[in-house]
Amino acid sequence: MPPRLSLTDVQKTFGLTKVLHGVALTVQPGEVHGLLGENGAGKSTLLNILCGVLTCDSGQIAIDGAAVHIASPRDATTAGIAMIHQELQQVPELTVTQNIFLGHALRRGIFVDRARQEAEAKRLLSALDPAIDVTAPIRSLRVAQRQIVEIAKALRGNAKIIAMDEPTSSLTPAEFEKLVAVIAKLSAQGVSVIYVSHKMDEVFRVCQTATILRDGRLIAQVPIPATPVSDVIELMVGRELAKSTHQSHATNRTLLKVIGLSRGRAVQDATFDLRAGEVLGIAGLVGSGRTELMRLIAGVDRADTGHIEVAGAVIPAGPRARITAGLGLVPEERKRDGIIRHRPVTSNTGLPAMRRFSRLGVIRRAMLRAKTEDLMRQVNLRPLDVARPIGSFSGGNQQKAIIGRWLAAGTQIFLFDEPTRGIDVGAKAEIYDLIERLAAEGKAVLFVSSELPEVIRLADRVLVMREGKISATLGPDQITEAHIARHAIPST
Amino acid sequence: MRTYFKSIKFRDAGTLIGLILISIVFALMSPVFLTAPNLLNILQQSSINACIALGMTLVIISGGIDLSVGPVAALTAILGAAMLVAGVPIPLAIFGALAAGVVCGFVNGALIAWGGLQPFIVTLGGLSLYRALALIYTGGQPIFGLPDGFRALTNGTFLDVPTPVIIVASLAVVAWVILNKTPLGEYFMAIGGNPEAARIAGVPVVLTKLAAYMISGFMAAVAAMILIGRLGAAEPTMGTLWELDAIAASAIGGASLMGGRGSIPGTLIGCIILGTLRNGLTLLNVQAFYQLLATGIIIIVAMLIDKFASGVGGGKQG
Repeated sequence: MPPRLSLTDVQKTFGLTKVLHGVALTVQPGEVHGLLGENGAGKSTLLNILCGVLTCDSGQIAIDGAAVHIASPRDATTAGIAMIHQELQQVPELTVTQNIFLGHALRRGIFVDRARQEAEAKRLLSALDPAIDVTAPIRSLRVAQRQIVEIAKALRGNAKIIAMDEPTSSLTPAEFEKLVAVIAKLSAQGVSVIYVSHKMDEVFRVCQTATILRDGRLIAQVPIPATPVSDVIELMVGRELAKSTHQSHATNRTLLKVIGLSRGRAVQDATFDLRAGEVLGIAGLVGSGRTELMRLIAGVDRADTGHIEVAGAVIPAGPRARITAGLGLVPEERKRDGIIRHRPVTSNTGLPAMRRFSRLGVIRRAMLRAKTEDLMRQVNLRPLDVARPIGSFSGGNQQKAIIGRWLAAGTQIFLFDEPTRGIDVGAKAEIYDLIERLAAEGKAVLFVSSELPEVIRLADRVLVMREGKISATLGPDQITEAHIARHAIPST
Repeated sequence: MRTYFKSIKFRDAGTLIGLILISIVFALMSPVFLTAPNLLNILQQSSINACIALGMTLVIISGGIDLSVGPVAALTAILGAAMLVAGVPIPLAIFGALAAGVVCGFVNGALIAWGGLQPFIVTLGGLSLYRALALIYTGGQPIFGLPDGFRALTNGTFLDVPTPVIIVASLAVVAWVILNKTPLGEYFMAIGGNPEAARIAGVPVVLTKLAAYMISGFMAAVAAMILIGRLGAAEPTMGTLWELDAIAASAIGGASLMGGRGSIPGTLIGCIILGTLRNGLTLLNVQAFYQLLATGIIIIVAMLIDKFASGVGGGKQG
């Protein structure tokens, strides 16, 4: 039997940069196939080619042994390929049924046949999640349910291949279990699933095979779970990830004092110290006030009461005053709060320190470029082209550029909000190394993370937040998942 | 910077090719078109729009829009003319008029930056407000009899080039330097590209916005001085629809109305394209109605070309 999907020798070039060097992908009917690789490896490009958003320069695509030509999203749909995007493309105000039939309404004469649409939507969803009300507006659904609706929509179009791009990025563990069940059902019906994720445990739960890309090249196709996780990661990053042990660089010199910081119910009376060379983690559930606290410290939002002191001096509100005092925030929502998409890396990293790079009010471009290149070499920006718009880099590399911004500004107190959110394993390790290097240089680091292994790996001390309050401060020997969880979960 | 400048220059080159194509058509159809006096004439006729468009481009790049430029020009023209007629020394009167333009820009900018109001609405209000002040002050009557010494400033030539062209070209150089060589220019691009990210990165958002609208007000006042110098009179109704020509020139030149992108050379070429079109069609005795039609078509065609050109080689990399 021919494979359900076969891509061979796919090449793609953006401008002068070749991003796919003859990549191949073979997926069997009913197979759940992992597509793995670091950010920038070419996964998104390959998926975009598959679903018709991009066209490849050369290469063949065949479905069930027959060559197909995919030049537009419509071609992809006709060929039976559907994509579940990371950011779901739905109309929140319309109902579940309306979203499923968006652009493909069932008609009776010139009118939309609502009854038949609803019956059909119910039939499609009954196999996936009967609890979803087909007449409810999409906005009233949880993200996990919206995803199921998107899958139902794909099945409505008779999809034979469903590609899922990071489907679990906003799912809870319980919701993930549900998704696993849905994927199993799809697989049993003979639908092939291409599963893109950075989370190894998930890939090992759901996939039978994985194709690994690195720097736009096909590295291997391996059976899962027969291949050890460490081997898969090594194939992805092309080197062994050093297992490092935590080493504290904390000194006795207090750099930052946070005193009674409060804002509404989100943050209540946060008080703590941060010392030079210390890495202080903030753990807690989503919505416990961690991001809000970071924004108050960075001066992005205004506190109702309380203040911060740097080296003994009270620092006024507002991001500029805080930056001058030596603080710098690496925000969680990189696209929304971090990058200026169309501007080159130099402009993005130089932004807080433009005056430093100027003489008599004129920017010294050569100096800015040299300094940025130097910093970006240190953080291993790939590709090392600081003149490129930052928006054309992968998430991990954008993050490196934003961290580089504060290195250029001479920041002493680094505030990281979910420093590795949406970043692949390789870049993650690099960012961990960077944070450790900052501490070793005597900088102070405060970071928020929802990933406990990350907190345990990096932090010298941990503040646990619960419902806007700091519920515990954990010392070096208390930083365990159990301790953190105990203080993070509200007692009811 | 190389690739970045390349991409900007690529866009500017496109605008320039558009200008050349239009010029070739007119040169083939009219023997007068490609003569030095006519080309200088085009530059001179474009200079007032260019003056306004330079300020407009900076405002648009910073993520705003300034609809009040025409009335600001009218108000500053009236104030300048009134001072000149009253015998205020010429440099002082000019300074006063330019300062009035900056003040108008400051009011717009303050409402937008501090008040948090939408630029479109604020400057739409300004559009009526400044026009009304000009009309009220004059009672709707023009002010005649500007001194010859003042008029000589804008009616002369320097090396055969009309002085308004020289003035605007110098201001264009200044605007280019501000945009490409100073922190303020980076701030314009940053707050237009992503205001929240810029604020978190320590960009002085309020001051940057204020600066954009104050520059725009200043440029409107300069345009007003050039025009009343040439006419010898100031009318409270002058400058009607100037904002639209300036926005059109900026857009043809590659400024994105979403903010964050735009170019000074592009805007200048955009102004010359609009000026050339008017000049060429007049030479060919095309009716004014059809000239308007041609202008509309050029704007839309430019945007379509832009749309398709930016689609090439774009897309997210994975």
